[in-house]
Amino acid sequence: MNAPYFVEILARNGDVLHRHRLTQLPIRIGRGYDNDVILDDAHSAASHASIDLDEHGQLLLRDLGSVNGSYYGGKRCAAIALDGHRVIRLGHTRLRVRSADFVVAPELADTTMHSWEGAAPAITGLVLITAFAIVETWFNDIESFALVRYILALASCLGAGLLWSGAWALANRLFGSHARLGRHLFILGSGLCVMGIWRLASTAMAYAWDATVLTRYGNLVILALACTMLYFHLRTIKPHHPHRYAIGSGITFAASAMLLLLLNLQGSGRASDELYMSALLPPQWHLSADRSVDQFIADAATLRDAADAARSRGSTTSDEDSDEDNE
Amino acid sequence: MPDAGEADESADSAPLPPPSSAAQHLYGAARNDLLQVRTLLKSGRTQSSVGSGFLIGTSNLVITNYHVVSQFALDPDTYVGEWVDTSGQRGNVELLAVDVLHDLAVLRVSRSGTGFFKMPEKLARLTQGQYLYALGNPLDLGFAISEGAYNGVIARSFYDQLMFTGPINSGMSGGPSVTVDGAVAGINVSKRLDGELVSFLVPARYAQDLLRQVDQQAKPPASFSGIVAAQLLRHQSAMVDQLLATPLSLKTMGPYQVPVRESEQMRCWGRSNVKADKPFTVDDASCAMESAIFVSGSLQTGQIAIRHQFLRSAGLDQYRFAQLASASFKNENFGTNKDGRLTAPQCTEDFVNNGKLPLRAVLCVRAYRKFAGLYDSALLTASTDHGLMSLQSRIDARGVSYDNGLRLTRAFLAALTRAPAAKGGAK
Repeated sequence: MNAPYFVEILARNGDVLHRHRLTQLPIRIGRGYDNDVILDDAHSAASHASIDLDEHGQLLLRDLGSVNGSYYGGKRCAAIALDGHRVIRLGHTRLRVRSADFVVAPELADTTMHSWEGAAPAITGLVLITAFAIVETWFNDIESFALVRYILALASCLGAGLLWSGAWALANRLFGSHARLGRHLFILGSGLCVMGIWRLASTAMAYAWDATVLTRYGNLVILALACTMLYFHLRTIKPHHPHRYAIGSGITFAASAMLLLLLNLQGSGRASDELYMSALLPPQWHLSADRSVDQFIADAATLRDAADAARSRGSTTSDEDSDEDNE
Repeated sequence: MPDAGEADESADSAPLPPPSSAAQHLYGAARNDLLQVRTLLKSGRTQSSVGSGFLIGTSNLVITNYHVVSQFALDPDTYVGEWVDTSGQRGNVELLAVDVLHDLAVLRVSRSGTGFFKMPEKLARLTQGQYLYALGNPLDLGFAISEGAYNGVIARSFYDQLMFTGPINSGMSGGPSVTVDGAVAGINVSKRLDGELVSFLVPARYAQDLLRQVDQQAKPPASFSGIVAAQLLRHQSAMVDQLLATPLSLKTMGPYQVPVRESEQMRCWGRSNVKADKPFTVDDASCAMESAIFVSGSLQTGQIAIRHQFLRSAGLDQYRFAQLASASFKNENFGTNKDGRLTAPQCTEDFVNNGKLPLRAVLCVRAYRKFAGLYDSALLTASTDHGLMSLQSRIDARGVSYDNGLRLTRAFLAALTRAPAAKGGAK
């Protein structure tokens, strides 16, 4: 253990709040002004603890008979050996002690694209949100043209987008180091555009080849895209735990997909969003072969068993015609 | 169905005309054989609904409407029937037979008639304008007689009814309408809620048929659900046969020809939405049977309805017109899974070409929970031949056999076509 020694006062999340450099042992810690490290903590004693070398030459923290004690790993200890990683709690203060020969972790490879910060992604994101708003409004606009509808849609879309990205930027500022609003705007803009493209493409594919599963369960893909957005937002805040966030987003997706399917089952008795495919596109988008009336009727004949099965399943439910009336 | 059972009291403000001396005599003679038929909840015996009935001759048989007794006919575990006469006597009723199609029922009670209401083999001939007297217990206020004119047989409902231009209020259902001599002309059944003093009677000959049937049966059936189902099946078979007896007539909508059926029972109505400020136009044509068969307070069936909607772009491009057509195609109801009467819809869908027109077709069927063999079938189609026009059609058949549902579906699908003359005429 070599001098100098560093006593680091930590926040709950592990960030260093203060770092005290001390050249000699022992180090006295407490609220009193005669200490080497003065704690601004009403729950610590005037002379709370002292740090010195033990018989093996290791740093050792000794409690000096404080009322609230010294804790390590949730247990109150009279003396705690310090290895540079251990976080000790004195009263409400968390601290860590390292000596000059403490071996730090290797340098992290920098994966951040520093040119893709600030205005560039922000403007791209806003452009993407704008494009999404305009295209969505245009596709759904079956009235005569009125500019005000587009302006309203654009304003509300941009407003909501800024709120969303602003909330993420705030979280980024709190848990990361800086806000990165531009990055969050870009994530939102790309997410919205991919969702919009999926909606159009899935409808077109469903209509082209009669793939009704795409319109029935297409919202699950939208949900997956939303969870992917969540993953990228989280990664932007803290880039160093991609696996943890991937698993978290995956669980979020699984849970919300389950919820969506259960809500459908509860509401309509079927897991899909639609009873039938409602999309109708111009004729040139329809690529599969039409079937004959005979084939359609043959398919229809097979529904009978399902209807009869449903009938025998639910035959216990009686009808509710007990309304008071004169007949 | 413009049923007396659904009468809105505020619509009944027309006062009863002052009774003539004939009416006084009739009421005096008939009152002993006039009954009120009540449906009571078995638990607590509270009143659930009321109607009227009358004793036939000197027997202990009572004629009333099916809709008066439907609750205890279909749900004898929950409901029970009771009769009350003009002197306040009361007793239990036993249901012997029902005729759902003509809305009639025969009950047995624990007292006998005095012989006032006769059902002779040869019924009295009625002439238009002749006075009839309707008897019953309107709105549970007390027994009453009302006077009106016989106005012929109408065929607007699937089964013949007599038009009676006199007041029939709810609660009088099941009561008799008699001539001045006391001959039973019909059984009070319903009135038009949108008209004044336009009421309907079931012709007495159907009551005769039902009484004959009661004569022949050894003992009353244990359950009426099966009987009601059999009668509904008979009805749908006749209804679908009649509908498909001749090819469906074709009506032109834009460049398309669409199948409809206009008949005594089925009326068609059209509507067009041409607004200058909309970049599209919508034409509607719908045909429906005006009356349905009353099965229970929450179930009326045995009805067919056809609807066509023709959308045409007037300024929208193909993609936004597709949005409009999709929204219209989506906005259709095939029922829920929370229905105590019918199962959840089971659907099949496909691109179908009937040789004349490519279509997107969706067929949904639902089974009746209480009546085996009966289904609701609904076919929805949209034309897929043009990017700026969409013909969306729907045929609903309620209370039909599975095969008849398919027959209607096939006939309807096959009949949708593009009018040859207008080919290429669309912009």
